[in-house]
Amino acid sequence: MLEVKDLRAGFDGTEIIKGISLSVKAGEVHAIMGPNGSGKSTLAKVLVGHPSYEVMGGEVTFNGENLLEMDPEQRALKGLFMGFQYPVEIPGVNNAEFLRMAYNAKRVNEGKEEIDPLDFDDILVEKMEMLSMEKKYRERNLNEGFSGGEKKKNEILQMAILEPKLAVLDETDSGLDIDAMRVVADGVNRLRNENNALILITHYQRLLEYIKPDYVHVLSHGIIVKSGEKDLALELEARGYDWLAPTN
Amino acid sequence: MTTTLVDATDQAELAILNLHKKFMSESRPPEALLPLNEAALQRFELLKFPHRKHEMYTFVNTKELVSTVFSLPPETPVSKDFIKSHIFPECESSYLVIADGVFRDDLSDYSAIKSAINLVPIEEAVAQSEIKEYMADTIEKENDVFASINTAFLSRGTMIDVPRKQQVETPLQILHVSTGSTSGKVTSHPRILVRLGEMAELKMIVKYVGAQGNYFVNSVMDLLVGEQAGITYVQVQEDAMDAWHFSKTRVVQGQNSRVSAFNAFFGNQLTRHHFEAHLKDVGVELKLNSVSVLTDQEQVHNFVRIHHEAPHGTSAQVFKNIVSGKSRSSIDGTVIVNQGAQQTNSDQLINNLMLSDNAHADTKPNLMIFADDVKCTHGATVGQLDEDQLFYLKTRGLIEKVAKELLTKSFAESIIQTIEFPGVVEYLENNLLKKLEA
Ligand SMILES: Nc1ncnc2c1ncn2[C@@H]1O[C@H](COP(=O)(O)OP(=O)(O)OP(=O)(O)O)[C@@H](O)[C@H]1O
Ligand SMILES: [Mg+2]
Repeated sequence: MLEVKDLRAGFDGTEIIKGISLSVKAGEVHAIMGPNGSGKSTLAKVLVGHPSYEVMGGEVTFNGENLLEMDPEQRALKGLFMGFQYPVEIPGVNNAEFLRMAYNAKRVNEGKEEIDPLDFDDILVEKMEMLSMEKKYRERNLNEGFSGGEKKKNEILQMAILEPKLAVLDETDSGLDIDAMRVVADGVNRLRNENNALILITHYQRLLEYIKPDYVHVLSHGIIVKSGEKDLALELEARGYDWLAPTN
Repeated sequence: MTTTLVDATDQAELAILNLHKKFMSESRPPEALLPLNEAALQRFELLKFPHRKHEMYTFVNTKELVSTVFSLPPETPVSKDFIKSHIFPECESSYLVIADGVFRDDLSDYSAIKSAINLVPIEEAVAQSEIKEYMADTIEKENDVFASINTAFLSRGTMIDVPRKQQVETPLQILHVSTGSTSGKVTSHPRILVRLGEMAELKMIVKYVGAQGNYFVNSVMDLLVGEQAGITYVQVQEDAMDAWHFSKTRVVQGQNSRVSAFNAFFGNQLTRHHFEAHLKDVGVELKLNSVSVLTDQEQVHNFVRIHHEAPHGTSAQVFKNIVSGKSRSSIDGTVIVNQGAQQTNSDQLINNLMLSDNAHADTKPNLMIFADDVKCTHGATVGQLDEDQLFYLKTRGLIEKVAKELLTKSFAESIIQTIEFPGVVEYLENNLLKKLEA
């Protein structure tokens, strides 16, 4: 599904991602861990096409197509989704209306008809219930004044509505309380099937107990210094990252 | 060169004096108003029309306006359908129609609030010493020449009197209709005076429209807010494109009173709004929000002076302006904190969104503080759309055009949402924001 080959990227001529290769197949869950500032969010944002970052080398294909040539909106419409570590607040944009616009953008792209607000509301309510989100979040402005945890839930709500092929979730667990994490993890698990895939960026083993990864990668200073199966996460929890620090 | 300039303004002033003579003989202002007309005219002659560098008109070019010769509008019929189309749903039986400055009972319907308010013709109102003194005092202190002109031409104003402790739940709409002209240009001088007695409450929606163009509406509204009284109002400026709209709102607030004002501007060839507030007594709250959405060559200029004259006053202002095409917006806003006005809290925020390189958004925020124990802030931003917000929307599959439009609308929407009248919110969303759809 996603093939990343020797990707190098950064901004203002500074390389942050210094040659990353990664292969994610349908049905898989990959976890990316690593110390603060190692480049995890940068990698995710480069994948979804953030304009501040410059790709300096390598290639990325998504279901066989050159991802790096696409605009962010094209990437989204092809089924790539990112759950942001720090979702932006957009005052004046109604959450439910925004979700419907995004949902309809996807439908139109698939050659389907737009859905009207009432029908969409049924879908929205169902997904919100799945995430134990109170209905009042429909009426609120997009992320405006949301608590840290509420923003993360709202990201997963968007994922649930857009049903992407590949979701990159950047520290979705940070900011969620223990109960909310379980609810969100259950929600994410319910969205999983053999045709989609997940990349989870996280600092905590706990999330990976709920959403079991097939692979764990450790990112440090912009490169993957170790890959393994889910036991690696346990080892990291016990030993930290120091023993993996790249030597150069 | 200077001499021709001087000549031009002299000419303009002469034209006003001539028009005033005509006004005196044709409109026959009530006897009781004559001393006010006269005093205001003298004030006008003293103040004179603003020259190019006049400090109250830094961003406003009045050259074309003052060199235009106006006549008084003939009585022109206004259709009930036209009126109806401009009445907000919350005011279906609580609206007053003012056509070219004249209150039209025949076109108004205020049955829903008839028992709660008193409508007093201004000539009767000035028989009350409080109103008489207020009028005389403001004429003398007026330094905005257009407001002086308004009073010089005062003949058919209306006082809306809300008695002590009266809480008017149903919002009152005041619809100012300029009938305009198809031949030549006309000017009118609407005057509304709202007085809230102690502990009275009023909600009000003021709207300015034109039946056709070619007019100059030069309006003044006085809000006299008694002790512990409160008023929430929205003013919607939606005049004809080739009209001039000048309006002044003068607010005088008594102890612990609350004023929440919102101005929405559609703009036209030249709109200027002057907001002057006096927080006269302790514990006053004043809120002023404003939005304008301008395209093409439209102009809207705000001139704001807020005088904190007593301790424990709060004023908060937020302006949001969207300028595209070759449009112009300006905010010239000063908060003055008098020596005795300790514990004043004052905020002013001006946000401009520029959608084109040829648009202008000028800001001149200013604080004049003569007290030492105060908290005052002001800030202004001029910017384009936020890159991170734009990116966020795109990652959800919204194409650039849609995402940009959504963000542009949201910039104005975030302040429109603060309006407490759903009918006005909906109207502005469907009409003011509609201007942003190319
Ligand atoms: N736009 C930017 N401007 C300046 N520095 C940046 C920018 N983006 C990333 N960086 C820098 O790149 C490095 C990697 O940042 P990134 O956000 O990818 O780290 P991370 O692995 O996600 O860290 P965390 O675990 O704290 O979220 C950091 O040193 C960061 O300061
Ligand atoms: Mg990060």
